[in-house]
Amino acid sequence: MPNALSIRGLTKRYDDSRRDRRRRRQPPGTGGFLAVHDFDLEIEAGSFFGLLGPNGAGKTTIISAVCNLIRVTAGEIDVFGEPHDALHARRIVGLAEQDVNLDRFLDVEETLLFHGGYFGMSRAEARRRAGEMMDVFDLRAKAGVRAPKLSGGMRRRLLLARALMHEPRLVILDEPTAGVDFELRLELWRYIRRLHDQGTTILLTTHYLEEADELCEEIALIRDGRLIARDTADGLRTLYNADSLADAYVRAMGSLSSG
Amino acid sequence: MNALIGRHRGLLALAARESDRVLKLWSQTIVAPVLAAFLFIVVFGLSLGGRIRELGGVEYEVFIVPGLIAMAMAQAAYSNNSSSVFQARSDRYINDVLSAPMRPWEVNLGLAFGGIVRALAIGVSLLVLALVVTDVPVRHPFALALALGILLVLFASLGVVVGVYAETWDQHGFVNNIVILPLSFLGGVFYSVDVLPSPWQEISHVNPIFFLINAVRYGFLGTSDVPVGIALAVTAGLALVCVAWSATMFRSGHRLKA
Repeated sequence: MPNALSIRGLTKRYDDSRRDRRRRRQPPGTGGFLAVHDFDLEIEAGSFFGLLGPNGAGKTTIISAVCNLIRVTAGEIDVFGEPHDALHARRIVGLAEQDVNLDRFLDVEETLLFHGGYFGMSRAEARRRAGEMMDVFDLRAKAGVRAPKLSGGMRRRLLLARALMHEPRLVILDEPTAGVDFELRLELWRYIRRLHDQGTTILLTTHYLEEADELCEEIALIRDGRLIARDTADGLRTLYNADSLADAYVRAMGSLSSG
Repeated sequence: MNALIGRHRGLLALAARESDRVLKLWSQTIVAPVLAAFLFIVVFGLSLGGRIRELGGVEYEVFIVPGLIAMAMAQAAYSNNSSSVFQARSDRYINDVLSAPMRPWEVNLGLAFGGIVRALAIGVSLLVLALVVTDVPVRHPFALALALGILLVLFASLGVVVGVYAETWDQHGFVNNIVILPLSFLGGVFYSVDVLPSPWQEISHVNPIFFLINAVRYGFLGTSDVPVGIALAVTAGLALVCVAWSATMFRSGHRLKA
């Protein structure tokens, strides 16, 4: 079986349009802001993979590249063996972004139904799945409420329900528990774990190291758009001679800035 | 048919979402512009109609109806799409569409659809109201359908383009208030350019909306300040430019994707 995600030589330089380069009199591939450089990553199908790094490390850029939300400067990305921009590859990826980017004109049920439609589900299929998602995420009572009128926790749940609506094989969660209370965080963990147990591949980015430690089978540490280390949480602790993942993280990031 | 629907479910869902937005905001998207244009017909047409007996061989209140319908439809198609696309970019929920398994042209067409629905709803409502208070005829239905079809394509595409480029609400409003509205007024909505002295008559011919209004007026009244073929060709040319611009942006991801 092909890997769930295969990234080879991914480079993303922002503000690198031909006009920008001409204005700065720079040749192609220079100037702008280099967010990710020659980045390789393979994630096995069915794994629970964590991507950790400080703000600006390139996590969201990598995720956006996989989900076709940015134009990559160089590199190749395959999802289950297919180019990431192929229609079928897009259909099997689900993304819950870091920002709560819900359509303000749609209520909870419509958000799920329209998302299902965008991802090729029939009306009947989308209705069935939307009902399922509203039950799982305890959103049934709010089915007719528009996104801006939901509480912060409800919005997070809806964001996750939307990402899972089309039953993707690869789920990408970009800081899914940022800003949520402890109870909801545990609830989301439970659901994500169950999803993984059912065979879904999960790519998680988070700033909560205990979250990565608790959930992820394997973790990649990145900084300045480059991969620093990749191992299990135990492997990283051993590698950096640390008692906790937090210590390993601090040492990994520290070793890079002092080096 | 089912296979065709199955292949384009994303497009259908996006078109439905854009139409849904128009209908949810009906008082703002449909009723307000219909009322504004209808007031123009009543106030200008029926009050000035007593002083200006005929223009281009028809009663004044009849003469202004085609231009007012064209102007209202153009503004609706443009402003609907520019605001919808800008809002989707600003709140970033456009990412849900951009990451979906849709072809670039499907995203483009789906986003343009709301403006077309809104403009048609306004156009039909205005025509019905105009028929109640004036005797506006439809002399060339085919030419009228063609002219309105081109108008919808032109302004729906322009709206999408501006929605993609706009960085602020001001910029989205700028094109409507500083370009479309003045050019519509100067394009002969309320008068025939034949009555203008030189050089204003000649200057009017560089206004693209002048050709659009005349194409629509020909469909309704059978009269036009320029040959209808030229009027249709000019507006179709502009529509092609806007469609090509919009299609290029969606194909390349320019300004939609960093």
